[in-house]
Amino acid sequence: MAEPLFSLNDVSFSYQGSIAGLNGLDLAVARGERTAIIGANGTGKSTLLTLLDALIFPQKGRFTFAGKEITPRVMNDAAFQREFRKKVGFVFQNPDIQLFCPTVKEDILFGPLQLGVPVPEINRRLKSAVERLRLAPLLERSPHQLSIGEKKKAAIASVLVIEPEVLLLDEPTAGLDPQTVRDIIAVLQEAHEAGRTVVMATHDLHIVEEIADVIHVFGNNRTIIRSGAPEEILADTEFLQKHNLVHTHVHRHLHAHHAHVH
Amino acid sequence: MKDPIRSFIQQAIVPEIFHSGHTPKLSGRTGGVLEKTVLRVVDFLKATVENDALASRTGFLQGTDPRIKCLSVVLLLGCALLTKSIVELALLYAACVTLAVFSSISLLFFLERTLLFIPLFSFFIVIPAIFNVITPGESVLSFKAFGAGLTITRQGIDSALIFFMRVLASVSLTILVMLTTRHHVLLRTLRIFKVPRLFVMTMSMCYRYIFLLLDVLHNTFIAIKSRVGYVTSAKTGRMLVAANMAGMWLRSYRLYGQVYDAMVSRGYTGEPIVLDNFKPHAGDYLLLAASLFTLIGTLWLNRFFR
Repeated sequence: MAEPLFSLNDVSFSYQGSIAGLNGLDLAVARGERTAIIGANGTGKSTLLTLLDALIFPQKGRFTFAGKEITPRVMNDAAFQREFRKKVGFVFQNPDIQLFCPTVKEDILFGPLQLGVPVPEINRRLKSAVERLRLAPLLERSPHQLSIGEKKKAAIASVLVIEPEVLLLDEPTAGLDPQTVRDIIAVLQEAHEAGRTVVMATHDLHIVEEIADVIHVFGNNRTIIRSGAPEEILADTEFLQKHNLVHTHVHRHLHAHHAHVH
Repeated sequence: MKDPIRSFIQQAIVPEIFHSGHTPKLSGRTGGVLEKTVLRVVDFLKATVENDALASRTGFLQGTDPRIKCLSVVLLLGCALLTKSIVELALLYAACVTLAVFSSISLLFFLERTLLFIPLFSFFIVIPAIFNVITPGESVLSFKAFGAGLTITRQGIDSALIFFMRVLASVSLTILVMLTTRHHVLLRTLRIFKVPRLFVMTMSMCYRYIFLLLDVLHNTFIAIKSRVGYVTSAKTGRMLVAANMAGMWLRSYRLYGQVYDAMVSRGYTGEPIVLDNFKPHAGDYLLLAASLFTLIGTLWLNRFFR
């Protein structure tokens, strides 16, 4: 069996030494695989993505990327860090913290410039990302002027231009209108077709089947409580309800009450 | 023509209530603290957006290579510090005003920026120096105050004027650079001149997260107002602001971490890299030569005539 791209063995992490983030987590993500992380609020999904992006490190357990253990000391090696950042791109949940430059264009260019991508190549990638996400009219605007959907697309473009092997996305479709959700799904599908590995945390179960090969469900104990194929897990309504991922919605059709899960 | 900055502020930043007919007045004691806090936040955002918009305009200094612009300003700052002539300082200020005009900066805006606050503050500081108690010399005016005789001396007036003009010229030169250079380009230029990375990184981080912090601040005070209403006593207002300070600090600390993480995630290592097409033109070298000539002239005048 091929070596997983990401491998976590018995990984634990807590904030300020007391607030649990991850608790004895085991996870393997294969190269080119599309992984969806689902779970109720506060179960550790964002913490996991932050760890996969080597912004935090396990306090217990072992985390490897492409066979190499990721530790603060390893990430302090400038050459390795640069290679890692070229390979792994992270779209944060809150686009406001990711868009920190005076204009959208500068924000999109930020990553490739820091990573030493040659300018003609940067311009080619910029053109491609802008066309793909229809961002041309927004390029010279300040990120503060954008709507949430536009910000999200700009944040995704700012990571796509790095052309990473791995895309980590934290709630990429949360709070967006249907058309923007479709745009983002299309981008993720293209990324998959291009052979990229996609790891996404989401609450949006409607899109999971479309964009994931495997689902990991996080429980309140801040570790994975179940893994499997989307069709298998999404069919288990009782399990999803128990873990706060769907609810039964009752509404009226003329004179009759109708109940179904959301 | 509609001003794009004003339009942006009205549409995107300033809450509608501040532009509608319902704008509450800053009235005496009631609600003053909350009102003022929100309005100061909006003012700051407005000023920052205006600065960035000015730096993006087409103008003489905006088109100048930032390295040459900064070097020229450093040379001219040297003139301002070394000269002992009020006329030379006045000429330097006049040059700043001329450069501002040729750089599409409104004259009124520039005068307001340069003449208020720091120069005015320095003027008040230097007032004691005009009296014979500090600067003895040729009497210009004598009078009695609080039972004691005071004399204003010509030498005192001269030294006070030189100090005031020196501050004015220095502040004007610095403001010119800040208004005509985009923030990240300025930081990049500072690194070219070997300004320590830690200093540049701190400045860079401040700029990046200050908008987020202001946004949090703005929303927090709007949320407070939505619950306590516009009419609160000054005391209650102060208590509410004080009670939120700690929370604000913690939130700002968290934001700082998140923004930094977002930068590191995309390869930032403390060295700002921008798409700088720094290409000096003939006019840029002319500015540098003129600045160098002014500095040499100042040194020469100091050496042989003063």
